[in-house]
Amino acid sequence: MTETLMPGGGVARRPLHFIVMADCSGSMKGEKMQALNYALRSMLPHLVDWERDQLQAQLLIRILAFASAPHWFVADPVPVAHLSAHWRNLEYMPMGRTNMGPAFRAVAEVLSPDQLERRALRPAILLVTDGLPTDPPGGFETGLASLLEIAAGRSALRLAVAIGKDANSEPLDRFRSPDVPVLVADGADEIADRLVTASIAVSRMSEVGVNRGTLAEQLNLAEPTRRSQPEVPTARGSGQDGYFEDIL
Amino acid sequence: MTTTPSAAPSDPPGRRTGWLVLTASERGASHAAVRSPNQDAVATERAGAEGVVAAVADGHGHPRHLRSARGSKLAVAVGCQVAQEMADRLEAGTAIFSQPDPPATAAATADEISRLTEEFLVPAVVSRWREAVLADVKADPFTQAEQAQRHSGDDATIAYGSTLLLCMVLHDWLILAQIGDGDVIGVRADGRAVEPVPADPQLDGLVTTSLCGSDPRADFRVAAVDAAQNQLRAVLLATDGYGNAQVVDEWPKAFSEDLAWMLRDRDAGWLASQLPSWAARCASSDGSADDTTVALLISPASARPLAGEQGEDADAGSEETTIPAVPHADTVPVHLPVAQPPIDPVTTRRLAHRTAPEPVILERSIPRVKKDTASHQSSGDPGDEPPTTQWRPPRTGER
Repeated sequence: MTETLMPGGGVARRPLHFIVMADCSGSMKGEKMQALNYALRSMLPHLVDWERDQLQAQLLIRILAFASAPHWFVADPVPVAHLSAHWRNLEYMPMGRTNMGPAFRAVAEVLSPDQLERRALRPAILLVTDGLPTDPPGGFETGLASLLEIAAGRSALRLAVAIGKDANSEPLDRFRSPDVPVLVADGADEIADRLVTASIAVSRMSEVGVNRGTLAEQLNLAEPTRRSQPEVPTARGSGQDGYFEDIL
Repeated sequence: MTTTPSAAPSDPPGRRTGWLVLTASERGASHAAVRSPNQDAVATERAGAEGVVAAVADGHGHPRHLRSARGSKLAVAVGCQVAQEMADRLEAGTAIFSQPDPPATAAATADEISRLTEEFLVPAVVSRWREAVLADVKADPFTQAEQAQRHSGDDATIAYGSTLLLCMVLHDWLILAQIGDGDVIGVRADGRAVEPVPADPQLDGLVTTSLCGSDPRADFRVAAVDAAQNQLRAVLLATDGYGNAQVVDEWPKAFSEDLAWMLRDRDAGWLASQLPSWAARCASSDGSADDTTVALLISPASARPLAGEQGEDADAGSEETTIPAVPHADTVPVHLPVAQPPIDPVTTRRLAHRTAPEPVILERSIPRVKKDTASHQSSGDPGDEPPTTQWRPPRTGER
């Protein structure tokens, strides 16, 4: 009898890292925080279902709570089913500000090439906030730049959910991927809807043959009042200059 | 479904034999789920009097590259054809392989091979692949549906976009050329891994260079390796579906250690029966789910004879339902060489467009400034690398 042996350390699905950046500033106190927790809890089963039904990715999730300073609420990447089964509510930080720059830097650190598996799929980053950034001058810009200067941060699907129309600000436009809209939750009751929409986008992104244009269409349909801006062709994304997206 | 290349042609009388080539290709689970074809391709042919060439290619999966399955097939066919011509030139030209290999001679040989690779093989592959693509489009123009998928202004070759990894073995020299992602892993007798093709910092796992790129000649990376002096026992060419399935980030090291043991412990028939299952596991939903194609070249210094040649069934009693890889028997060794003396091996590694080589000490990755690419993280311990003579490209003003 011939046994089957395979050289190397074994095989596994490719990791798809999903990072939730949750605004836990003081203004999230009360109904908004409750709604955010409800929305995140509601989103997880959708992701569990998707992970079960698809063939390619192992979805690994972590949560960064940010206010005056960032704090990894779920620090290590965990399977989404595990998080769903062991959910703990986020809590707002009294007097906490909405400093996004340090939060972007914290995300950039975990997506740096020495931290991320070489075979990882493009990550997804979901930013949920109810307000404008309150960083010191230049703080938002330098933090965002640190995220965008690494390959994984630049290529990540970057989604933003604004809680309240006023939160849909120019800074969120700068954070989001250029081909997807900011999703606006007009009230606390809409947060769950927007997060489910976002989770579907995240899950679709790694499926065969799906490109950003398709995702943008889906998100624009979900957010008809706010169309995304057309994607600005870049050398790396468009195939110009010899680069081509390495979709399966 | 495991696909295999066509059988090797019959041997001409008196032909010497050398390296064995096993190949396997498996459609990715994600491709099967959406009924898209296996966009990888593999081919192997004889080269020169006693050599062999193997090629694998990965057609891009983006809908924009709607004919990439054809593009990869053209790539491996063109790659093997041009390599054969290069083999003929090398053997017919100077007495490049006729002398023993003291280090000085070996260095000159490496230099000559690298020069011909850069000046003949790479440009010929690029131009002939383009010609083949344009001929294919002429014979079978894009349909309306295909036109709708194409981006406005796209060159016809974009639809056929593909990588290419090529390895020719000629007189114990490995001649390697690669464009795009995928892996070339050399396995030494002691189990250490060698990655002879210089890393390309442009390949960050998210984008790839391509034969359909704007300057594919510049994106080729080449290497010439003295297989005997480096004590190389096998070389793996793999599309990225293989590496992306591996749990261990530094999988070439683990792969090399394990394969070296297998080469000592098992015969070539056993390896031929196993290879398709390796590709299948990687291509499955337990792995990368991507098309996975491998070509495993096995040195006559390590390959044990095919069991079938000893009157046994190579796949007898297998518990796996696999289609055996095609062992190209024209390259099964008949003479096992003696152990090589511990002399300095010679390897050249270059980016294809480089000129005016500058001798430097060994380093793991070749820095390369291009466009807006992120810096490359070298992998592995430089101490694992065999002694190497290589040329560092100019650090600025490139491309």
